[in-house]
Amino acid sequence: MNIRDKKILIIDDELEIRKMIDSFLRKEGFYRIYHAENCEEALTNLRENKPNLAILDVMLPDGDGFSLLTAMRQVSSLPVLFLSARGEAEDRLLGLGLGADDYIVKPFLPRELILRVTAILKRVYTTVKPEVLPTFKLEDCIVDLEGAVVSNEQGEQLLTAKEHGILVKLYENRGRIVTSDALCRAVWGDDLYGYENTLMVHIRRLREKIETDPSNPQSLLTVRGLGYKLIVKEE
Amino acid sequence: MKSVIRILRSFVVTTIIIAIFLLVLNFVLLGNFLFKGMEGHAPKNVVQKVATELEGTPGNYGLDNSVKKLLTQNKAWAMLIDNKGQVSWDYELPEEIPLNYTLRDIAKLSRFYLKDYPVFVWEHDDGLVVVGYPQTSYAKYQLYFPVSWISSLPVRSLALLIGNIALALLLSVLIGTRLIRSLKPLLGGVHDLAQEKPVQLETKGIFQDLAKSINQTSKILQKKNKALKKRDEARYNWIAGISHDIRTPLSMVLGYAGELEENKVLPEEQREQAGIIRQQGEKLRVLIQDLNLVSMLEYEMQPLNIKTLFLSALARQVAADFVNNGLDEKYVINLELAQEDIKVKGDEKLLLRALTNLVQNSITHNPQGCEILLKTCISLDSETCSFIVADRGKGISQDKLSDLLELPYSAQRKHAVAKGHGLGLPMVSKIAQAHKGKLILKSRPGEGLEAIINLPVVFSPEQKQV
Repeated sequence: MNIRDKKILIIDDELEIRKMIDSFLRKEGFYRIYHAENCEEALTNLRENKPNLAILDVMLPDGDGFSLLTAMRQVSSLPVLFLSARGEAEDRLLGLGLGADDYIVKPFLPRELILRVTAILKRVYTTVKPEVLPTFKLEDCIVDLEGAVVSNEQGEQLLTAKEHGILVKLYENRGRIVTSDALCRAVWGDDLYGYENTLMVHIRRLREKIETDPSNPQSLLTVRGLGYKLIVKEE
Repeated sequence: MKSVIRILRSFVVTTIIIAIFLLVLNFVLLGNFLFKGMEGHAPKNVVQKVATELEGTPGNYGLDNSVKKLLTQNKAWAMLIDNKGQVSWDYELPEEIPLNYTLRDIAKLSRFYLKDYPVFVWEHDDGLVVVGYPQTSYAKYQLYFPVSWISSLPVRSLALLIGNIALALLLSVLIGTRLIRSLKPLLGGVHDLAQEKPVQLETKGIFQDLAKSINQTSKILQKKNKALKKRDEARYNWIAGISHDIRTPLSMVLGYAGELEENKVLPEEQREQAGIIRQQGEKLRVLIQDLNLVSMLEYEMQPLNIKTLFLSALARQVAADFVNNGLDEKYVINLELAQEDIKVKGDEKLLLRALTNLVQNSITHNPQGCEILLKTCISLDSETCSFIVADRGKGISQDKLSDLLELPYSAQRKHAVAKGHGLGLPMVSKIAQAHKGKLILKSRPGEGLEAIINLPVVFSPEQKQV
């Protein structure tokens, strides 16, 4: 079943907002869209139409979205995305704590909303595939993060756990500087200090595996004073 | 409690000083006032003078006129009793005085009175000189003391003195503690007032007026605090409400402008215009978020997610973020970091935001490009550490400097906002305050701006051992 066929319920007291979200969703190919402008309508709609996802405003004329979510949870376990004009961190945590799948603060960009809606639908309704770590190409080798293997013309080399952790973090931020603190935190955990030297040792070993000339690195670059940067070749 | 002891101590000391002062004063007065009238022509001196001045042979005695005058002045009379008990010379002798004396008479008169005349005797070569004063002019007493009593007198007087001091001490402590007992609740009340705690004291005893006043003050203070809190909440809610109300319409502006911008059917020019609407809308969005954050910090409604953070890591993170987000080559960020292990307690997001604001501030106000120094350091006593963001840009004049920390449009601000929305630096200042720190700005025109965030250092156990 295509995720575009999923039923979406928009709960917001502002007609204009509902119309706008409606139009964006339709443009993306969604066509089974329901509206509700207060808690009561939302609950009726939930029973009758059995939507697959709800976009929920926090401030509603006959109650707040948090209590509505609690009420909805007693009937259905559908995924919910909060769309709120209240941006305080507490509200965000409250919403997510109640089991909402996402929390977007108004004003939002339509593209962001659509991306998050499809992400939630994909996560909830497509058969879950085990997450696979990617394989990517560097200047002098190919790295398979899933298998923790580096292969080049000389053959294959296995990555140690720490080297693997460092590479994953760098790959997630490819092309961007990752500070040595962030790398240490990713590999050794929170609140650690004094691992910079250890990190340098691991980086050197890693370069010996992925670079042709480790003393003149092409892929894993040092940004002096800040951290490291991974240059990935076009995929 | 400390202050109570202090008051009691000074009370006791003062009492003792007063007691000693009174004692000394009494001794002086005893000499000067009580014994006044004892001095002058004491009978003893007069009789001695008569005895030494009386010259001549039996039956032919003569007294110097000056001595006679002295006797007349004192209304006294005199006589010489020879060794046989006969009066052999006399001066102004009253009639009732006998002229013959037995040994018993002599013994009596030497000790007591002669016919009610107080008489004083002195030895003479030819007998005994007797000088009599008018009746009822002098009283005569005989004093006898055991030698042991006399010798123990100094010790006893010392004991008396010490006893007196002890008694004074005891009394003053007693009176003082009674006073303190009634003063203690008042003191507690005043201390509580200083900490803005509600105070309700019992209004009785000698200090009841004071207690009433303190209660009244507390009530007023509580009322004012409540009103102030209410007003702060109202202001905060007002800003939160406005930003909330702006968000929904802005969503639609942003949403539709974004749609128009990507609509391939529209001509290029109109799509560009829609893009401008979207960009301006996004600026408005940032402004509302900043306004909300500043308002929450101002009224202390911003929850802080406090963690122990490394100063250097924060600085590196900010620098890396700027470089990652495509910093123009006109700008160079240099890092100068002190020890790696300086730690602070703080909200990571807010501190990063503060540093980002400072760097962004230097970028915005120096469009020609400049060098930006991001520095961390620690004070000599290791109590405070600082982030310093300094640029070698155009700087700012002294009188505009103080403005920068005030909110735009506030009464304290002398100049209008030059660039940006003017919330950036007040926000940094409030973030610093929320972390018990302070933002300090230093600048001179043409020499760039230096912004310093001072924060209290967190000590780790390893550092303490060093």
